[in-house]
Amino acid sequence: MSSTKAAKGRDAKTPAEHVPHPLLPFLQSQSQNTLTRLYQRPSACLSIFRLLGPLERQLVMNLLWLESAIPSLTMAAWVTPEGKILYDSSLLVLSRLHIVTNLLNPATKQSPKLNLNTTFKTSFRQAITGGGTSGSFGVPAAKDDKHPSSGVEALDAFAVERWETILHYMVSSGTGQVLAKPSAGVLYLLQRSRLMATSHGSALQITSAGFQFLLHSPHDQLWQLLLQYLHMAEERQMDLVEVLSFLFMLSTMDLGRVRNCNVEYSAESLSDTQKAMLEDLRDYGLIWQRKASSRRFSPTRLSTTLTSSLPPLPTSASTGTGTQDQGFIVLETNYRLYAYTDNPLQTAVLNLFAALKYRFQNLVVGAVTRDSVRKALANGITADQIISYLAAHAHPQMRKNNPLIPVTVQDQIRLWELERNRLKSEEGYLYTAFASQADYEYVLNYAKQLGVVVWESPAKRCFFGSLEGHANIRGFIERRTGGGGGG
Amino acid sequence: MDTASHLSVILDLSPTQWHLSSLPSNTHPLSVASFLSQLLAFLNSHVAIKHENSLAVFGALPGKSVMLYASTETGSESTELADSNTYLPFKLVDATVVERIMDELDALGDPEEEEPIALVGALTKSLCYINRVMSPSTSSAPGGGTSEDQTTLTDPRILILSVSPDLSTSYIPIMNSIFSAQKLKVTIDVCKVYGEDTVFLQQAAHLTGGSYIYLERRDALLQYLIMSNLPPPPLRLLLSVPTQDKIDFRAACFCHKNIIDVGFVCSVCLSIFCQPIPVCSTCRTKFPMKTLRRLNEAMPPGARNPAGTPSRATPAPTASGRGTPAPGGPGRGAPVPSGSGRGTPTPGGPGRGGSNGSSRPPGGSSITAGLANNLR
Repeated sequence: MSSTKAAKGRDAKTPAEHVPHPLLPFLQSQSQNTLTRLYQRPSACLSIFRLLGPLERQLVMNLLWLESAIPSLTMAAWVTPEGKILYDSSLLVLSRLHIVTNLLNPATKQSPKLNLNTTFKTSFRQAITGGGTSGSFGVPAAKDDKHPSSGVEALDAFAVERWETILHYMVSSGTGQVLAKPSAGVLYLLQRSRLMATSHGSALQITSAGFQFLLHSPHDQLWQLLLQYLHMAEERQMDLVEVLSFLFMLSTMDLGRVRNCNVEYSAESLSDTQKAMLEDLRDYGLIWQRKASSRRFSPTRLSTTLTSSLPPLPTSASTGTGTQDQGFIVLETNYRLYAYTDNPLQTAVLNLFAALKYRFQNLVVGAVTRDSVRKALANGITADQIISYLAAHAHPQMRKNNPLIPVTVQDQIRLWELERNRLKSEEGYLYTAFASQADYEYVLNYAKQLGVVVWESPAKRCFFGSLEGHANIRGFIERRTGGGGGG
Repeated sequence: MDTASHLSVILDLSPTQWHLSSLPSNTHPLSVASFLSQLLAFLNSHVAIKHENSLAVFGALPGKSVMLYASTETGSESTELADSNTYLPFKLVDATVVERIMDELDALGDPEEEEPIALVGALTKSLCYINRVMSPSTSSAPGGGTSEDQTTLTDPRILILSVSPDLSTSYIPIMNSIFSAQKLKVTIDVCKVYGEDTVFLQQAAHLTGGSYIYLERRDALLQYLIMSNLPPPPLRLLLSVPTQDKIDFRAACFCHKNIIDVGFVCSVCLSIFCQPIPVCSTCRTKFPMKTLRRLNEAMPPGARNPAGTPSRATPAPTASGRGTPAPGGPGRGAPVPSGSGRGTPTPGGPGRGGSNGSSRPPGGSSITAGLANNLR
């Protein structure tokens, strides 16, 4: 996934490229009933709308203010020939999400008509125009003079601290260091999502999926965990609509827009399910509460950027000046790697695939070596993931280079990966001990016609056929020799 | 493709035109109030499309232009905006825009005569704004609170909602704005909400690759806006937006600011005049007498006297006052204007004069030409 994301970043100009949001397949798998209940909330409509692709969003907008269904031919007339394929797939996505209904009128047998789902239309209109009584954008708490609300910086620091605790715990689980442990809920989630696993009753160990997870962008990581949370919610008998709509509500909430101080929201109007979620989300750093029993909460940047592509962790608490979103890695053609960071998490992630040599106050120096890359490959990280991680976190100074990552290093990392894949195993049968060369060639020809020959050696008079071809070849030989023969 | 886009909206807020537009004698009367409510829905749609989308609204009022709203400037005083039923950014846009428009309209008072609409001012301001936001490196200090808004802006565009007729005096500034828009790669969309087609804005949309729509059903303003003005430029490769099949390429002359069909172009600086003149008013090039006479004869009879300006008197007499051009006819020698003493440009070399009798003298002649070719 990380490689496709990186590709999207690079080729953003090509119009055909759009990677669907990871949440959409999950939503598509839900029943129409669930979705319709979800669409009753304007904030959920707005958030889902933002997760859609650009063409899909425009189509929804085109249909939003129409009172009656329009023939799909009319809508298709707006599409240029180049956009036809994308248009069709967009409509498919929308109808799978039950946002667009494709009405086939059986009486007139005319072309199908397009219309928005009535619930979605009503709620989304309400979201755009405002008003209504849904209260789906969060009820702001009354000003509390006793406890002046903390600033955005404090919230950011909180979110970063929580999130990095999780990641750091994962990355250091193999090294035996003792670190601050995330809460039990988080640990369970990590285990459930198979990012970490226990082996023989020992402590949790990071899995290869976990290593790959570490190289993803924070936005992808967040959604990956939340998706897992949603799956878990289904098992815990939580109402999925409540869970989803609470997440969407968070994503539309406000962070420090007014006077640079965060708005606090009241938890009074939340349902019981959502109140239960408060604790989980606090552990992930999505929301902040003064006390566990507090009846008010504030969303952090992690949650308000759920439906946007802004960096969810703008400035790391420890790096201060915001080098994190700009990138910090300089990679030279001689495989040397300089990372301008003092963040232990980033250092630990680099340690996954690079051999670190020196560590200074704000700089880590290392090298990408065969051993270090092979160690990473053994952990299940792919070469593409390493390269895309390096590209995503390249220092501004390095971004002047074209190509961004030195070709020698890129190729070498790929070659090291190929090295591991020199052997390929395949199940099958070896046919030997043919009576004569003619016999051998006759059977071999038959096998070649079937296309099941994997390897052959005329000198040794034997060949290797794949598993699925065995029954045929065996039958062929038996028919020819009247029983016996190779095998 | 899925990148944030910037939209600047320019509202034409001419009280007279909006009054005319709301009269029930129209087929589809449209009042300011209903216009605003549809506009706000459109603005909200733009904000809804993407979290990072930015928006600026400018108002063109009689005699002045103002910035009504900009998403990068969080200048809201009221903290009590938060509301559980409305997405806060929407509310911020709506409240600010409406409040500012009301303030500005109230401030207009009741003047005897309405000043012309400052459309050019609004257009220039929005171009300046886009330029500023697109190159934030100079102005913003790192680590400021606005870091969220400093995502790179791609595909900026301007939408002009026009109700007033063309103001021929603003031809040159509008043309200059179009050229700067081209340079900034800004798309200008035009929606003509009320009144006749405007020549200049048609050209603005055409030259910057935007869409121009003339509102036929004015009760469906919102749908028009969404279908043709909401998609950002990359999306327009997939979903076509209406463009014009016929564009009025006429220009306004520099001397009387009339919109003309046939004009005379200074061969040095490309200024446009409605009639042959001896000295270019822009670059002071003097034209030979003989050419003037020939051009005057070639003028179509109807165009001799555009808009009642004294055309007869201009050519010969004024020119003779200071340094008549060399008497040598066109084609012989190189008639350099004499006695200017002000560093007059003398374009063209003698080599170009040639012996061809029909070729034009290099000392600055006029060409009757469709101006479209020069502007394209």
